[in-house]
Amino acid sequence: MAGFVDLNIPHSLEKESLRKLVEAAAHLGYSTVAINYVIDYEEKKKEVVKPISSSELFTSLPMVQGKSKPIKILSRLTLVVSDPSHCNILRATSTNIKFYDIFAVFPKNGKLFHVACTTLDVDLVCINVTEKLPFYIKRPSVNVAIDRGIYFELVYVPAIKDSTMRRYTISNALSLMQICRGKNIVLSSAAEKPLQMRGPYDVANLGWLFGLSESNAKAAVSTNGRAVLLHGEARKTACGVVHTVKKPRTPDEDDSTPATKRPKWHCDE
Amino acid sequence: MVRFKNRYFLCEIISDDSRFQQCLDERAVHNTVKNVIARMHGDFGLACCSIAFSVKYLNAYTGIVLLCCRKDFHRLLWSSLPFITYLESRNQRYPCSFNTLHVGATIRTCQKFLIHYNSNQLLALLRNCTSEADRQAIQESVQSCMFVEEEQFHSKDEESDDSMQMA
Repeated sequence: MAGFVDLNIPHSLEKESLRKLVEAAAHLGYSTVAINYVIDYEEKKKEVVKPISSSELFTSLPMVQGKSKPIKILSRLTLVVSDPSHCNILRATSTNIKFYDIFAVFPKNGKLFHVACTTLDVDLVCINVTEKLPFYIKRPSVNVAIDRGIYFELVYVPAIKDSTMRRYTISNALSLMQICRGKNIVLSSAAEKPLQMRGPYDVANLGWLFGLSESNAKAAVSTNGRAVLLHGEARKTACGVVHTVKKPRTPDEDDSTPATKRPKWHCDE
Repeated sequence: MVRFKNRYFLCEIISDDSRFQQCLDERAVHNTVKNVIARMHGDFGLACCSIAFSVKYLNAYTGIVLLCCRKDFHRLLWSSLPFITYLESRNQRYPCSFNTLHVGATIRTCQKFLIHYNSNQLLALLRNCTSEADRQAIQESVQSCMFVEEEQFHSKDEESDDSMQMA
């Protein structure tokens, strides 16, 4: 059984609250979390910031409940797009974009949803759950997305917070399920407070309300999340052909100063 | 004649309020869960779930509760548990959340799971504890954790709670 994955922990500038969220996730039994950085073009042109590293956040990573492994922290970039030109940033080889593990898009209209499903190089397509879906989800675009291994993300915290949001969440989820028949769904939290987060089994059971079958709901919090991670990894490694590993730091530091001297010693010998 | 099948939910109540422990009682949990079922599934759902619905066990120190309901309707109960955001007790609302640890068919399996879970929690405490006295107390209670006869179990369980408070 694969570990549980929560791919949406909103990034906040206060490290303390972020730390509390990750600790709560570890306590609930999630073995991988992704910190989510949102870029919204409608607000203003935002810079892509460098994602926070796990060593910056914790001196020692919290242990996952029921396992003896520390939690794994990834980074994820979400683009809120309302115009096709906004997606160019994904292709640009700008400095900070390569540090992100997962890319997601939040399409605002039906045309962009189709573009995101068929051509964009992303891992996740977010479905709006806080208002009535502004477009119809079409079967051809969803089928292409499933073939390409792109997953659809549903967020459950708005449903916990508010009753009207809950209605929109459930109705939007059900309309999506009619098209994709429970395949390629990822359930994630987007919790701002630790108390809003729910355990993985509870979330899997929420899938029952969203029209998922039992096995699909369980996959939505575990194996599908892992598939998204691997899809993101495949982009970095050119479909898994090339894999670059960072050199461990200690030999690096040793090398830096005596780099010129070392060959000489070899010559002497 | 076939016996009625039940499902038992072993839940952990998570809260960051310090006064929360004192006000945690069976009645408050019972009312909260019933309210949330009514909110989620309406009158029909509440009627289904209230057959044999009861709070079987409650540990205020660790925040563990054991809920019971009929097997046929346990999905209705389970799907409304995540929507609990506060516990109302003596006209005060305490923010909290329910985390389901285990769903079992008998109280016995839930008890076994809980002992296992608590001993794991104690080990986690042992890893983080600082003073020597705490370490001793936790080590003793870890060793005393085992699945034994009913009467003995209760006393030992209390012991481990005390040490959890100390740490």
